[in-house]
Amino acid sequence: MTNLKRMLFEQNFDPSLKMTIRGYLTKRRAMAVMIVLSLALVTGSLCALAVGSEHIAAHQIFAALWAKLIGAAPRLSREQEVIIFGLRVPRIALSLGVGSALAIAGAAFQALLRNPLADPYVLGVSGGAALGSIIAIIVASDVSISRPLFGFAGAAIATVIVYRIGRRDEDPAHLVLAGVVMSTFISSVMVLLTVLADNIKLRNITLWLLGDLSSGSIEGLIFVMVAAVVGTIILMTQSRALNLMMIGERDAFALGVETARVRWIVYLTASLLTGAAVAVGGAIGYVGLVVPHLVRLAAGADNRLVIPASGMVGALLVLLADLVARTALAPRELPTGAITALIGAPVFVYLLIRNRR
Amino acid sequence: MPRSRLIETAGHLSGHLRRTIPAIVLAFCCISCRQERPVNAPAELRNLTDGLGRKVAVKTDPQRIVSLAPNVTEILFAVGLGDRVIAVTSYCDFPEEAKLKEKIGDTLHPNIERIIALKPDLIVISTASQLENLTQKLDELQIPVYVTNPRTVREVITSIRDLGNVAGVKVRATEIADEMERRTSAVERRVKDLPKPRVFYVLQTGPLITAGRKTFINDLINLAGGQSISGEESADYPQYSRETVLARAPEIIVAPASHGTELVREEDLRREFAVTPAIRLNRIVWVDPDLTDRPGPRIVDGLERLAHGLHPESR
Repeated sequence: MTNLKRMLFEQNFDPSLKMTIRGYLTKRRAMAVMIVLSLALVTGSLCALAVGSEHIAAHQIFAALWAKLIGAAPRLSREQEVIIFGLRVPRIALSLGVGSALAIAGAAFQALLRNPLADPYVLGVSGGAALGSIIAIIVASDVSISRPLFGFAGAAIATVIVYRIGRRDEDPAHLVLAGVVMSTFISSVMVLLTVLADNIKLRNITLWLLGDLSSGSIEGLIFVMVAAVVGTIILMTQSRALNLMMIGERDAFALGVETARVRWIVYLTASLLTGAAVAVGGAIGYVGLVVPHLVRLAAGADNRLVIPASGMVGALLVLLADLVARTALAPRELPTGAITALIGAPVFVYLLIRNRR
Repeated sequence: MPRSRLIETAGHLSGHLRRTIPAIVLAFCCISCRQERPVNAPAELRNLTDGLGRKVAVKTDPQRIVSLAPNVTEILFAVGLGDRVIAVTSYCDFPEEAKLKEKIGDTLHPNIERIIALKPDLIVISTASQLENLTQKLDELQIPVYVTNPRTVREVITSIRDLGNVAGVKVRATEIADEMERRTSAVERRVKDLPKPRVFYVLQTGPLITAGRKTFINDLINLAGGQSISGEESADYPQYSRETVLARAPEIIVAPASHGTELVREEDLRREFAVTPAIRLNRIVWVDPDLTDRPGPRIVDGLERLAHGLHPESR
C-alpha cells in the first residue's frame, strides 16, 4: 500500500496542481517542519507582543508576562497592563486563530477540488460570511454577537447552495464554477446593500470588508479558536483520504476511499472554518490562497503535513500583517486585509512565474 | 466663447455697479431699510467666486434653488429662502418644511435628469458630498453651481454670509452670521481661562474611528475649550490605535448620540476604555451629530452644548 501510494504520488500526480513533490513524507521531515514553524510562531508572537503604537520596553513586557505566568502582580501601570493583556494578547491570539483557520480551509479546498486557485473566496464561502455580517451591521448593529452569528450563518447558507448546485461525482470543477457564480452574485448584493445603507454605516462596512482584527470580542476570539482547533482535527483525520483523492476520485474510490463522504466532510468543515474566520476578523484575503502553495513548495504535497503546516504559516502571515497594520502608521491603524493582499499578491505572482519555468 | 465672456463681464460690471450704489445708500439708512432690492428686478448675471474659488455666474435674484446638502438646506431656510428652494436631498430633514420639498436623491447620488428638468437657476452644493463629477456635468449644461466649502465654525459663518450674498438676502444672512459670531465668541471667552481637558472623540467603535486635525469636530473641541488627543492626525477620520487612546489618558470622551442606529454604545466605551480618567470619572459627553456634523446655522448650538459638556462648571 505504501509503495503503491508512493508510486501514485510520484508518477501520476495531477499536473494541474503544479506542485513540487519532494519525495515521500517521513516522520522526521514532518517533525522538523513543525518544530521550525512552532519556533517561528513563538518568536513572531513575542515580537508582536513587544511592539505596538505605544512604546513599552520589551524587558518590562516579558517581566510582566513572567509575573503573570507565576501568578505575581506585573509591575506595570494600569494603562500598560491593559495595553499588554487587554489589547495586544487577545489581538495576537485572534490573528493566529483567523490566519490558521483561513489557511487550513484553503489547503483543504485546494486538495479536495484539485484546483490550485480554489480558496475560500473563490468558492463564495467568505462572500456568504461577509454578506451575513453586513446584514448584521445593517439590521442589528447594537447586538455585538450578531455579527459572528450572521456571518457564520451566511457562510453556511452559501456553502450549502454552492454544494447543491455544483455537486458532480467526478468533476470538482463544477463546484468551483458554482462558487464563482455565487461570489459574484453575493458581491453585487453587497454593493447594493452598501449603496442603500446610510452614510455612516457605509464606513463601518467598507472598513470591515478589508479585514479588521482590532475589534474582536472575547467571544469571537474563543469562537474562532475553537473552530480552528476542531476544524484542523477533523481535516487531519481526512488527510490520508485527501491524498488519495488528489490523484483522481475514481482511483481513490477503487482504493477504498468513501469519496462522497470525504468530499462532504472536508467541504463543510473548510467552509465553516472560513465562515468563523471571516465572521470574526472580516474578509482577510490571500491567506487561504497563497499559504498552502508556499507550504507545498517547501515541504511537499502530502496533506498530512500540508494541512497543519498551512495552519501555522497562515497564523504567522496574519500575525505579521497585523503587526504591520497596527504599527506602520501608528497611531493610525490600517486594515489587516490590505496588508495580507500587499504581501500575498506578489508572492502568488512569484509562484506563478516560478512554475512556468 | 469670447462673445459670451464679454456678455458675462458686462453683466458682472453692471451688476457690480447696481449693487454698490444701493449698498452705499443702505449704509446711510440701514436700520429702517428692510427692502433689499426692487421687486421685479431684471434677471442679470453676476460673476461670483464660490467656496472652492470657482467662478460662477448667478442671476441676481435666483428664484428656483436646488440644495444638494442638508447643511445648505438649513442655511437657505434660515436666511428666509425656504419658499425659493424647489428641491432638496433625502437627507435634508431640518427644518420641518424642508421635508415637504421634492427629493432628488441623496447627497451622494442625486438624480441629475430630475435636476435639469426642474430648470433651477441656482444649485448649491457642499464639498462634504463630494460631487465633483456632478458639478462638472452641470457646468457643461451652464446651470450655475455654487459650492460651499467651510472647514471650521468660523468658515461656516462666512459661508452663510456668502450664500446670503449669492441669493440676494444679504441683510438677513448678515444678521444670522453676526448672531452666530457673537455666540461663538461668547463661548470662547467663557472657556478662555479654564484648563483644557484632553478629549477623545469616538465616531465609531468596531474599527475605532476618531476625527483628525482638519475636521469640524476638532474645531468644535478647540473652540469649546478642550484639546483632542487625536488633534494632530492629518487624516480626517483615521482608524485609531486603542493603545494610544489608553496611553494618552483622555479626561473626557465625546461621542455622537444615538441616531436611530447606534454606532457607539455606552457599554462598549465603558468596557474598552475603563482605565481612562474619562470613564473612571464618568465623563462621557454625547453630542447630537445633526448639530455638530452639519456645517449650518445650528453648529453654534452644537458648540454651546459641547462647551457645556466639557466645562459644566462654567455656566
